Amino acid sequence: MAYDWLKNNTFHHSEFADLERLVEAKQDKNLKISLCLPTLNEEKTIAKEILIMKSELMNRFPLIDEIVVVDSGSTDRTREAAEAYGARFYPAADILPDTGNFMGKGENLWKGLYITQGDIIIYLDADIKNIHHRFAYGLLGPLLLTDQIKYVKAFYDRPIALGKNKLRSTGGGRVTELVIRPLFSLFLPELTQIIQPLSGEYAGFRGILENIPFPIGYGVETSMILDIYTKWGLEVMAQTDLDRRIHRNQATLALGRMAFVIMKTFINRKVKLGLIDLKKQMFDEMIQYNHVENEYQPVTYKMEGLERPPMIEVPAYREKFVRGN
Amino acid sequence: MPTYLENLSEYADALRTLKETIITNIVLLGQEPAPTFKEKTRSQLFLDRLSDFGVDECTIDGYQNPIGIIRGTTKDKAPIFVVAHMDTAVSKDVNHNYVVNEETITGAGIMDNSVGVGALASLPFIFKSLGLKFESDIVLAGVIQSIGRGNLRGIRHLLKTWSTPIRGAVCIEGGELGRLNYSSYGMIRGEIECAIPMESGFEPQFKPNAILILNEIINQILQLCLPQRPRSRIIIGKISGGHKHGLIAYEAALGFEIQSDSDSMVKTIFGDITDIVNGAGHEYRVDLKLNTISSLHASRVGYAHPLVKSAVAAMHRLNLKPVSEPSESELSIFLAHDIPAVTLGVTRGRDYHREGATMEIEPMFNGIAQILGVILAIDSGVCDGV
Repeated sequence: MAYDWLKNNTFHHSEFADLERLVEAKQDKNLKISLCLPTLNEEKTIAKEILIMKSELMNRFPLIDEIVVVDSGSTDRTREAAEAYGARFYPAADILPDTGNFMGKGENLWKGLYITQGDIIIYLDADIKNIHHRFAYGLLGPLLLTDQIKYVKAFYDRPIALGKNKLRSTGGGRVTELVIRPLFSLFLPELTQIIQPLSGEYAGFRGILENIPFPIGYGVETSMILDIYTKWGLEVMAQTDLDRRIHRNQATLALGRMAFVIMKTFINRKVKLGLIDLKKQMFDEMIQYNHVENEYQPVTYKMEGLERPPMIEVPAYREKFVRGN
Repeated sequence: MPTYLENLSEYADALRTLKETIITNIVLLGQEPAPTFKEKTRSQLFLDRLSDFGVDECTIDGYQNPIGIIRGTTKDKAPIFVVAHMDTAVSKDVNHNYVVNEETITGAGIMDNSVGVGALASLPFIFKSLGLKFESDIVLAGVIQSIGRGNLRGIRHLLKTWSTPIRGAVCIEGGELGRLNYSSYGMIRGEIECAIPMESGFEPQFKPNAILILNEIINQILQLCLPQRPRSRIIIGKISGGHKHGLIAYEAALGFEIQSDSDSMVKTIFGDITDIVNGAGHEYRVDLKLNTISSLHASRVGYAHPLVKSAVAAMHRLNLKPVSEPSESELSIFLAHDIPAVTLGVTRGRDYHREGATMEIEPMFNGIAQILGVILAIDSGVCDGV
């Protein structure tokens, strides 16, 4: 396998630190850019994320045209914090209510497509503790400065917060190394060149994002890569090194559930493409065990792996975005 | 009314519209750990921010102080200095990720002195946004190695090597809004170290205990008679020692500071403490060392000095009540060089030196507006020829 993509389509955020150049490219191409932040109880990090992006990439350099928060029903002060710094806040349930409502990051990203105006949409997780505007311009750089790249993923050194005052300088990519990379190696080795396929930060042209389905939960990152790869090839993708990202650590059991959904998404895609045959339907429950009073008790999580269709197939969306392409 | 006072309230309002960028500077700089002697990364970021904001000259001096110079409109006026210390008393290992909400920002070191550094880094952007131009060059200096054992080395070096006269200076501290320092104590900061010599093999159970010896020294210090005039005091600020609960402490250290309006009184008290330490060492037959970490001379500009009067007027204009006490910050070094200077606080806050230190956002706008007022006052010539 050639590693040309890794060499040619991997960038470092510092290559795009000349923000005037990005603004010029944006204006030359007559593009609008939206930043979409999916949230669920992010009062501790959301305000910081919005104000830094607004200061640096809206007020000082007009790169981003709007900041939109799509929320899954926060019970803390996420809404107040977001609005205090000028973001538009939407409960996911209020967007396209006729299509129903599900809880999950993928659901918020999908609905974000409807509510944003941009030709390019940047998706950033809202729990980044060391947020910096490079998280946005590092993703925008390849989209604005090249013609062939339509979708960019982040990767980084990921220290994880292990509690008060403790950071572990490596790790944080456990599901990637234990689940995704083995699966890619087995079936689609070319995709192993994507350093962190599960990173929560990516940006893409609307024309790409509106044409792919969105799983409502954890599988959204995996499915995006697989669908874009299948429809347009690896060449439209790129990845940018954003250096360091500090985020919340997740317990092993939670990662187990994440791995379940990701594997299911992956296998479903492979079945659809005729790459593997399943003799029997997969189950949709993840079973884990708790040790309580000298007994192991099963805890079952139903994860059906629901998916939203490509947004372009939603009539209300087509009505709103009548475009020539 | 002097012209420098006219627009201060409007400036405070205008600053509210710039809040995202001011807070961004505070957060980005504050999240970069900068314990004393390890300020390099924060200094570089500070310089990058100044450069991003189009400051005419950005440089690092021979002592690694990051400095930006905004060129003035005339060449014959001496420069005005605006300084904030870059270092904090917070270790690198402590979580430096700040939490911002609608009214406050919380995070280690924010009040001392991330908000000061963030405000300093925001000044070029603020000047531009408010259309402020100055006759003098404005020198924005983030000074390193200021607090504790840093002993104000950064500012000492900067002023020692600065070759031209300086028109006046403003020192920025995070808090507390309303502070107006224009004098500094005479001061000696010292540390007493007690070590019990260890012998090999079995140790006798009832050896002298380093903590108890320092306790005895504290008792003797507390018995010293200090004059009310010149005002003088001894602060016992820091103590450490011992290994575990059931073991006699072999080592202990005591940090203290002598402060007085009079240099000679500081010297006298230090002599008294030296005698106490020597006596205890002799009596208990232990190793006692008295180290001087830093010292400052008492200096002041008077309340009647036009700079102080201008600062008071600026604060009154913004409905701030000035509170004046001697300070021992960068101010001391300016005053020691006969450069008129004041120290101002940017905002209100709480838990200054804890990990959960918190600053209030809203008062900051008046805090920065008063700084603009004082810079404008100096630029209008209030310090000239005094």
